[in-house]
Amino acid sequence: MTTGIELRDLRKLYDGHGATAWAVDGVNMRIGQGQFVTLLGPSGCGKTTTLRMIAGFETPTSGQILRDGIDITDQPVSDRDMRMVFQDFALFPNMTVAENVAFGLRTRRMKGRFSDAEIRRKVAEHLDLVHLGSHAGKRPHQLSGGQKQRVSLARALVTDPDVVLFDEPLGSLDAHLRKVMQIELIRLHRELNKTFIYVTHDQDEAMAMSDAIAVMNVGKVMQFGTPREIYDRPASRYVASFIGHAHIVDAVVAESRSDGLMVRLGNGEVVSLAQPAKVASGQSVGLMLRAEDLSLARPGEGELHGQVADSLYRGEYIEYVVELTGNAGLVHVHEPTDLPPFAHGAPVALKVNAQKAHVVEA
Amino acid sequence: MRAFGNHIFVTSLASAVLFFLYAPILVIVIFSFNDSHYTGLPFNGFTLRWYVELFHDRQILTSIWNSVYVGLGVVAISVLFGLPAAIALDRYTFPGKTAFRRIVLLPIVLPGIITGVALLSFYLTVHFRLSLHTIMLGQGTALMCITITEVFARLQQMGKSQTEAAVNLGANEWELFRHVTLPGIASSLFGAMLIAFSISFDEIAVTFLLTGRENTLPMTLWSLLRREVTPEVNAVATLVVLVSVILIVIGMYASRGKNSASYGNH
Ligand SMILES: Nc1ncnc2c1ncn2[C@@H]1O[C@H](COP(=O)(O)OP(=O)(O)O)[C@@H](O)[C@H]1O
Ligand SMILES: [Mg+2]
Repeated sequence: MTTGIELRDLRKLYDGHGATAWAVDGVNMRIGQGQFVTLLGPSGCGKTTTLRMIAGFETPTSGQILRDGIDITDQPVSDRDMRMVFQDFALFPNMTVAENVAFGLRTRRMKGRFSDAEIRRKVAEHLDLVHLGSHAGKRPHQLSGGQKQRVSLARALVTDPDVVLFDEPLGSLDAHLRKVMQIELIRLHRELNKTFIYVTHDQDEAMAMSDAIAVMNVGKVMQFGTPREIYDRPASRYVASFIGHAHIVDAVVAESRSDGLMVRLGNGEVVSLAQPAKVASGQSVGLMLRAEDLSLARPGEGELHGQVADSLYRGEYIEYVVELTGNAGLVHVHEPTDLPPFAHGAPVALKVNAQKAHVVEA
Repeated sequence: MRAFGNHIFVTSLASAVLFFLYAPILVIVIFSFNDSHYTGLPFNGFTLRWYVELFHDRQILTSIWNSVYVGLGVVAISVLFGLPAAIALDRYTFPGKTAFRRIVLLPIVLPGIITGVALLSFYLTVHFRLSLHTIMLGQGTALMCITITEVFARLQQMGKSQTEAAVNLGANEWELFRHVTLPGIASSLFGAMLIAFSISFDEIAVTFLLTGRENTLPMTLWSLLRREVTPEVNAVATLVVLVSVILIVIGMYASRGKNSASYGNH
């Protein structure tokens, strides 16, 4: 028996509204108990719908949801023992912070499980967990956005669910607060050993927090893997360009060996890669070149050549936009700010990190 | 203001409208305190005599009680049916939902006399004996739409995530209603109740057609007026105006809630 959650060929078609496109179109996924898994993708790709089907708020049009091997597709929301943290916090405005947190412990379903004293202790404990111990008597409207989301988090965690679902919980917070909360969430996940299923369209957030990421597009999972796999070895052109904003240059496989690959660009220049080869010679591919995997050199000292088209001072680094010779494509390069700068229009060579450069389908 | 062009024209038009609306009411109020048996000048001096007399008039007292009784019944009916209807409208989608929402509003638009005639012929068909209860039923069905629209608007404004959060935390239907839905809609429900009560209190068209032997206050006033406008009638009218204004103001204030800015997109 597998512990955790399994999605089997999950599909959703919203009826009404004249909808004809699948909001979720055949999602398969295994989420092990205790994992932090993120659904990542652009707005409208079906992340929320998938999460809401797991929570039980939406009924799948077809497919199955399994929990520890048992089919829960038709189980009512309140039987699922999964707690959701909403983007708009969904706090109860007429209750105090403490009453909000206690809500899930005071339902009829929990009757007799905890004494009043135990409930008070648990609420206090969980308010401390999210650093809100001194706000117990306040009403939601007296709190800041970040504090509201902490209350909502405490309310979800206090009933000790195995699974916590998050739908863009930091989406309405400012950038600084978002960073602080990301670190909080990682800490909570590490301490609590619960499964976190997290929805976001922010790839930095997904990379920083997740054990595994499912990159989604138009209702489908394009790739499911660790942040490192997804970043370093994107399975498709779509994933490569969505994650880390890689630039992809058209190329043809010149030579394919068991320990590496040579590809030839449109201008005849050749790059070698350490990527284990699964492509045949002569095949058209896209060569993924990320800014941090390239460095500039004087002409003749690198595999590729081009001209500086633009340079942008970014504080941490200088970003050069380089146009490859023979119109082979545009790439971006990050260079340390303390090196002598390259002038606009200057001919340059590019060194490619063979370990990191990667090919995807054409 | 410039957009309206002629400032003087707009101001005088508004003043005229206000004058014709409120001057008659003001006249009634003034003459209810006049120490004279006739409604009209001269003003012989201030007295509360007509108010004292009013509270010794059995006919008027009975009809005030009848009106209150009908009003309370109307409020009960419109909450009992309007509240579940509003929740259902908010929560579920079903074929013809938009059409249903418009049809529900129809009684507000229809002239009372039409509603009255329709209900009368219906009651006669099913052999209902006309009484205060038939008035209650008639007004209640017509005024239910106030509860439905007010509460529905508030529910839409609340959004569904609080409801989902409560269900997600294991609440059953009753707990959801008691702890989340009701506190959220309480003020607009209360407002709708007050508005329904005060409309019922003044209502005459439907009441006229559906009444049995007992009379409500507007009916009694009307029959008194057929003889002459006595100062006592002025006193009753003044009290009715006062109570209605208070109820409507409280009702509107409550149904708008504290943050009226986000309200009003039905
Ligand atoms: N309640 C709904 N009714 C109809 N269509 C919906 C509904 N919710 C979402 N959709 C549609 O389903 C698709 C996926 O939406 P969603 O799951 O919310 O995406 P995401 O969370 O990734 O932005 C979108 O095209 C959206 O317009
Ligand atoms: Mg979404």
